[in-house]
Amino acid sequence: MKSKKLSDQIVKTFKKNGFSLSEPDVLLDSEYIIQRSGENFRRSMLTFENEDGKIMCLRPDLTVAACIKFIEKKSKSKIYYSGQAYRRSNKQGFDLVHDQLGIEILGSKNKTQDDYKVIKTILDSAEKINNKKIQIKVSDINLFKSLINSLDMPERWKLRLIRHFWRPKYFEELLKRLEKNTDIDSITFDTDKKRFYEMKKMNSEKLIAGRSISEILKRFDKKIKDPRSFDKGKQIVKIIRSFLKINCKLSKLDENLLNFAKKSNLKKNIFKDFDSIQNLKRLKKEVNFITNFGRDVEYYTGFVFEIFIEKKEIARGGRYDGLLKSLGAKKDIPAVGAAINLNNI
Amino acid sequence: MKNLITIGLPSKGRLKDKAVTFFNDRGLKVLQSDKERNYFASIENKSNIKIIYLHAKEIIQRLGDGTLDIGISGLDLLNESEKNLKDKIIIKKKLDFGGANLVVAVPDDWIDVQTIADLEEVAFDIRLRRNTRLRVATKYPNLTNSFLISKGVTQYKLISSLGATETYPFIGSSEIITDITSTGKTLEDNNLRILKDGLILKSTACLLISKKRTSKLKSLLPI
Repeated sequence: MKSKKLSDQIVKTFKKNGFSLSEPDVLLDSEYIIQRSGENFRRSMLTFENEDGKIMCLRPDLTVAACIKFIEKKSKSKIYYSGQAYRRSNKQGFDLVHDQLGIEILGSKNKTQDDYKVIKTILDSAEKINNKKIQIKVSDINLFKSLINSLDMPERWKLRLIRHFWRPKYFEELLKRLEKNTDIDSITFDTDKKRFYEMKKMNSEKLIAGRSISEILKRFDKKIKDPRSFDKGKQIVKIIRSFLKINCKLSKLDENLLNFAKKSNLKKNIFKDFDSIQNLKRLKKEVNFITNFGRDVEYYTGFVFEIFIEKKEIARGGRYDGLLKSLGAKKDIPAVGAAINLNNI
Repeated sequence: MKNLITIGLPSKGRLKDKAVTFFNDRGLKVLQSDKERNYFASIENKSNIKIIYLHAKEIIQRLGDGTLDIGISGLDLLNESEKNLKDKIIIKKKLDFGGANLVVAVPDDWIDVQTIADLEEVAFDIRLRRNTRLRVATKYPNLTNSFLISKGVTQYKLISSLGATETYPFIGSSEIITDITSTGKTLEDNNLRILKDGLILKSTACLLISKKRTSKLKSLLPI
């Protein structure tokens, strides 16, 4: 068994780098996952009803399962896992069973250092597979956020674009609307103004279908004040599109960002908070930086990377500072991790 | 009998009456059984046609498994069905009765929510602040899911409902709903309002046929 030998070798590398084994549960409460990961996840889960009437699912992803284990205080913070994840798909020829082999640093205290540790460990493992033809692609979602926040447009639009960055198709729709300056929400409020004043006199704590009157009124007020139309849409979309075309060697990144800012008439210091990317120069390898990248996984919040051998993706990972809290942790627990795709090796 | 055609018609209410009229108007007079509550009927001078009265949802299921050759049921129920059931049924004709809209409705007093874009923002807000998801009560989980996701609303959880969905937001079972409505009166009377761009599906009654039986019906079907 070639793959068994290979995965043993990879695990050895993980251990050598200080990661210890976590064995996440195979069966998870599916309601718990839906509550946290969203309804869209349901389609991909393999579920059954257990004897207590609870809908259980086979773990759809080992990162999520490992995080749950960690929140239950049943694992260390620097872990590796090796096992199978189970996902359904409507696509034909799609495997139900995915072998996953990965590492996570849960409760990552030193961001730059831990990001480096994860990518370095994965690279060390990849080198065991093939030393020569390794390609590295990286990005950082924070650069996009910095860009959006520096642009002159209504707050509502900024939040929208940031929220949907990870859904390229819908994001494109948003850009088209922005380009034409057609707000997806250009409704007048006249009819509701009257009710607004009536509601102002009511008890602001009162809940209407789970939302307090004060919450509703506050948002209503904000909505009226936020400009409905602005004329810079076309120009802004042009800037965003040109940003999403940045694709260069890491060594040229500073130069490229500076050129981009200059060309777009932006201040040159708008891009902050990407030390993890800069730090990758230490790898002394050729790294490609691509802005339009890492956009298919909702939970990434910062640095993302993929490693290729002969054009096949063999590993991917990144930082996901919000996931543990969304899975039920009481406080923010920053985390970073990566997984090796054994099926592509 | 080899040439027997089985037709499923809705067993209740206006839909039943309109469906019967539909056949009568085309010279196929529906003969009710003598026993008032009997579920079978026939057509005058057509001994090879059998009519069965069934729940509208059941008609779709039975067209799928081939028990029925022809049926009248709602487009909403057909589109809500699982893909492999839908693939077995052909819409022969959309009919001019049984019209109703599947819509997204929110409490009247959510005055800040007029469009799906608003809903998307509120859903994120709820998620961010309370770490829970906006709950959407519905009898149509599949249609609701694909609609909301196509509009960029992702932070929600479906609550499946069997009836009186309009009450859900006010008894703490969900925040908003999607439901089928023909006049909007029930929604209105229960302090709910349809979002301006909240139309999920314009439904009507449809004449449906089982795909397996198309060739057989071609030679026999008088409509």
